[in-house]
Amino acid sequence: MTQTRIGRRSAMGLAAGAGLAMAAGRKAKAADITLNIWTGYPELVPWYKAMGAEYTKAKGTQINILSTSLREHEQKLAAAVPTGTGPDVFDVGQILGITFIEAGLVKPNPAAIDGLLKSAAYRKSSAEQFTTDGKTYGLPMLFSTPAMFWNKAHFKEAGLDGPPKTFQDKMAYAKKLTKFDASGKMTRSGMSLRLSGQGSGIAEKFRFILEPAGGTLIIPNGKGKFRQGYDNDAGRNALKYYIDAVQVDKVDDPKVQHDAAAFVAGNTSMLMREAWVIGEIKEKAANLDYGVAPIPAWGSGPHKTLLQHNGLWVNAKSKNIDAAYDFMLFISSKEASVKLTQLSGWVAARSDVDWSPLLKDIPQYKEFVSPTDGVQFYPEPVMAAWNEIESRLADRLPNAYIDTSLQDPAKLAAFIKAAAAQTDQILKQNDLYGT
Amino acid sequence: MARQRSPALFSMARIGIIACHAVLMAGALVMVMPMLWMFVTAFKSAAEIAIWPPVFFPQAWTSANFSGAFETAPFGRFFLNSAIIALVSTASVMLTSLVAGSVFAKYRFPGRGLLFGLVLATAIVPFEAYMIPLYIQLVGIDWINTYQGIILPYLFMAFGIFLMRQHVSSSIPTELMEAGRVDGAGEWWILARVIAPLSGNALAAVGIFAFIQGWGIFIWPLLIANDQLLFNMELGLTAFQFAFSADIGKLMAGSVVSVVPMLIVFLLLRRRIIENMALTGIKG
Amino acid sequence: MLFCYVALLPVVALFFYVRIIPIGFSFLLSFYKWNLISPRRPFVGFDNYLGLLEDENFLLALQNTTIYSFSTVALSTAIALPLAVFLSRKSRLSAFYQTIYFLPVITPMVPVSIAWKWIYDYNYGILNYGLSLVGLPSVAWLTDPAIALWALVIMGVWKVLGYNMVLFLVGIRNIPAEYLEAASIDGASDWQRFWRISFPLLRPILLYVVVTSTINAFNVFTQVYVMTLGSQSAPGQAVRMLVFDIYTNGFQFFRMGYASAEAVILTLIVLGLTVIQFTLARDKEAKPR
Repeated sequence: MTQTRIGRRSAMGLAAGAGLAMAAGRKAKAADITLNIWTGYPELVPWYKAMGAEYTKAKGTQINILSTSLREHEQKLAAAVPTGTGPDVFDVGQILGITFIEAGLVKPNPAAIDGLLKSAAYRKSSAEQFTTDGKTYGLPMLFSTPAMFWNKAHFKEAGLDGPPKTFQDKMAYAKKLTKFDASGKMTRSGMSLRLSGQGSGIAEKFRFILEPAGGTLIIPNGKGKFRQGYDNDAGRNALKYYIDAVQVDKVDDPKVQHDAAAFVAGNTSMLMREAWVIGEIKEKAANLDYGVAPIPAWGSGPHKTLLQHNGLWVNAKSKNIDAAYDFMLFISSKEASVKLTQLSGWVAARSDVDWSPLLKDIPQYKEFVSPTDGVQFYPEPVMAAWNEIESRLADRLPNAYIDTSLQDPAKLAAFIKAAAAQTDQILKQNDLYGT
Repeated sequence: MARQRSPALFSMARIGIIACHAVLMAGALVMVMPMLWMFVTAFKSAAEIAIWPPVFFPQAWTSANFSGAFETAPFGRFFLNSAIIALVSTASVMLTSLVAGSVFAKYRFPGRGLLFGLVLATAIVPFEAYMIPLYIQLVGIDWINTYQGIILPYLFMAFGIFLMRQHVSSSIPTELMEAGRVDGAGEWWILARVIAPLSGNALAAVGIFAFIQGWGIFIWPLLIANDQLLFNMELGLTAFQFAFSADIGKLMAGSVVSVVPMLIVFLLLRRRIIENMALTGIKG
Repeated sequence: MLFCYVALLPVVALFFYVRIIPIGFSFLLSFYKWNLISPRRPFVGFDNYLGLLEDENFLLALQNTTIYSFSTVALSTAIALPLAVFLSRKSRLSAFYQTIYFLPVITPMVPVSIAWKWIYDYNYGILNYGLSLVGLPSVAWLTDPAIALWALVIMGVWKVLGYNMVLFLVGIRNIPAEYLEAASIDGASDWQRFWRISFPLLRPILLYVVVTSTINAFNVFTQVYVMTLGSQSAPGQAVRMLVFDIYTNGFQFFRMGYASAEAVILTLIVLGLTVIQFTLARDKEAKPR
């Protein structure tokens, strides 16, 4: 990393980091400590293991990694952390993070970590997301934004020379890209949307279109309360877009293969997903000719993409709290960040990392590590009820996408109205509703 | 009996029987298809898995999925854990069912009906509904992330107690127990030397149910096992499937490993298992 | 009598520790609002129960579970009984069929659910291939909301059919041969003999089969859990069942009190059904005598 061109901000970060490392080095002395680390991302395990081995070599502390997938991970944490049977360090999204913070199960960061988070090592927006009532808690680990994967070979074949800039173009392109067999059965989707399944992911993907269209699931009133923000043109347009894609323009179908698996297999031409798909492609279809472009804009609107941070947190009930914070620092270094991306495909949250070696190797990372200028981020609202808000909307969407009666604008409007009313209802139940 | 009928009827009946066999054969095919499909898929390469029309048997049999699965996760260890959990649970369930079932069947004491009713009624409550309170209790005795904590809820089985009670009350003559008592035998002796030897089949049935249950648990170990070394087969498999994009080949290979021991035991003991399981329902 | 208590003590102690206490605690929780993590746990009386009555997910889960349970129980019983009648004849193939049909009963649920998910796959599944061989169009078994629940019913029947069949089989074999022979001499046809003699004698077993199948069907969970995972899976609403909804409320939304209230209702429903089934059976038994 010595060849890195060090900017002013990152130099400050570097200094802060070095100071921290020294401070932390004094605290961690016991070589017979074992730290338990839980992750909800099985893809991160090789990285955690590599970092654990390095850390054991440097400090003598043993590192024990447990990985379960996200849904199970969150369930385990919810049972284990309050009862003192949890890990020392864990990664989890901010929604659960804030629940732990409110319950006093994650303490404000010690000075060293607080300093690092506020330094130039992290984006301001990232630091803000990890600040509650003026204090910082935890460290951002992943900087996760979706972008649009597009299959270059498919585009070439269809006579298209580049990715669409707007959702309207995207639909037109997709129509040219979709393929059917002789019996009229779709064999390749022009774009792959999330149309089925269960859980908040369906609503999250709905937001990929809702937000650029100018809507949002909930609007803060500036006084700590919220109300729904999609019973409007944007909400109706976003739903209509999905319905058009499935029912009118027929560029996607719930029946065909979807998601990363479909893109890797060449069964879809466009997919909005996060950086980890690059890792999948590298592993399973190394010859796939693809590009990554920003999420399209809605008409002449701005490019917008969702920003999620997965955070690293230290359990307040950890018996080795100093060592836990020390390990958290260790795996948040610049070197560790590069390694994280190399080994897992996810993008590390530190902003002062030199990505040029990675980009030279895999140029498709560009849109994820340094998004195109002008792309706006909309963050995940940090509130405990968020999962329920998204999940309950997600329950309704798959049926709507295939419901032909919703081609009638009045029925579509009624559907959106009912869904939005439920969002308000959940906010009310959680004492979070306010206009 | 059909053979004693007139010749015309005989041939009609025969056609009917052949038709029945055809239906049964087709049904049998449906019954084994999921398992067969799992097996052949486990031996296919990724390219052969995702083709249309599908080929039933792999053109090139490969064990890559198995080696891949074992590399990704310590399925050997998971397997061992499954065996430990299932065997300990089975042994305990058989013992507790024998004792409790016999007592409920043959002895009169205050609270008997209430207690037995409670045992049956709680069997209806879905485990998912009370596993958090149970978890909190186990935190109190420091049994989280231990074998004993995983096995504890499966040390007895309401259904097993029910089956044994049915069996003992209907098949063990009270006179036999009385004869023992006249000879001066204690109640424990009667349990061990009179009831137990006459309950082999019913106990075996209970044991089979316990083993199937013990082998199949996954929600509870998911909650309580914090170390991969304590994972059982089913949990390892679910964890495996939950990674972002499931690898069908490896998934099927893991499934095969999880299913095979049950299959072997079943095929070896099939007659006994089927007959014993059947016993469970007769005296309902 | 002392023996009774001494002998039962370990079992009862265990029973109280792993069932009664946690179930009791769970029941109490149903009157509280608790997110599992927070130390705050306000008492809310019957709010959770009242909330459930207006919760469309709960009502949908109730509806789906009812459809699932009645279909699975009815189908598996209706297929198992004639199957058992036929297999009760002396035949070399009988043992073979028994083994094959019983196979699903002993296989663990997780791998089996995974296998079925792959069978139901729209694009590469063997089921759609089978349909294509006889000239039928492919069916979106899991992703079509109108079909997904039935896909689970098919799997449920598949899993439990062998057990029910074997129970009936033993019941038929236990019918004293003299009864049937006497009827034959009286000139009764096979059909009449079955309905007039075998079937009434099988009624206790039928009751047992229906009761245990119903309890199991109402508690269906693992299949739903596996089948709704991922983008190529069943829409959550189409296969939302009660235990799955309890699980979602408890462990995804962390509404423990609410989930507990839902579990209480589920338990009461199953308890009620069991009582009804017993009562019906008793009435029928009482009449002929």
